[in-house]
Amino acid sequence: MSPIHALLQLHDLDQLLHEARDQATIACLRRLGLAVRIPRPVEAARRDLMRHVDARWMHHYERARHRYGGAVAAVRGRVCQGCHMALPRSASPAGEALTLCESCGRILYWAVREPA
Amino acid sequence: MLATPVASALDNSLYIPDLRHRRKESVLDELVECAQREGIVRHGDALRELLRRREALGSTSPGRGFAIPHARSLTVQETRVVVARSSRGLEWNAPDGEPVHLVALTLSPSECPASAHFDLVVRVASVLRLQRTRQKMLDAACFDPIANLLREAIA
Repeated sequence: MSPIHALLQLHDLDQLLHEARDQATIACLRRLGLAVRIPRPVEAARRDLMRHVDARWMHHYERARHRYGGAVAAVRGRVCQGCHMALPRSASPAGEALTLCESCGRILYWAVREPA
Repeated sequence: MLATPVASALDNSLYIPDLRHRRKESVLDELVECAQREGIVRHGDALRELLRRREALGSTSPGRGFAIPHARSLTVQETRVVVARSSRGLEWNAPDGEPVHLVALTLSPSECPASAHFDLVVRVASVLRLQRTRQKMLDAACFDPIANLLREAIA
């Protein structure tokens, strides 16, 4: 698994775990008749994903996660969806390479193919 | 992110009149495949994994013959609901043990606030929990009446 795919899944999993611990979300789901609990395999999945990302990028990830709640931001229309700042023309999806938003420091996920 | 109008979350292309599969994991794959085909999801594998992990936290069927799997993900491009029916019924670990005949996969991009995402989940579920409405949906010959029932309630 490539680092960006691991970070994509890690971000989504962290968001899911956050929702599962959030009292407002739990109450909302209970009203629907849905119970949530956090089983060990889900926690273990987080550790497995972390193994695919080197320490430097995990450091970026954890720092942004603690600062903002979410460490990876989608790019749509050349705008970072984390801080809503337009990215410079020099910023571009470089294959599987990881890049940071220069404004907020979140890791960027190029959600759609941007026109050249 | 601006809230997506709920009515635009429904689309004829995101409707499966009769699911091929019966097992929950296979059905989730079928739903994601539909969303990916329509360009709503970029990395289907990541979304499939997330939906499986969500199910591991607890079944997304509250019983009464419907399920509402849901996810907020980076790989989702726009808020959408994939609606599917199963004439044979699906195994979904529902608390009442009843098979599921209606599924509404509710998807939001990661940047959509949790409150907006779960508000949509609640609105869709509030429609599906009504027995008379479910029956109308199961009897519908095409997607339009189903979409109208959902739009009336969630607009």
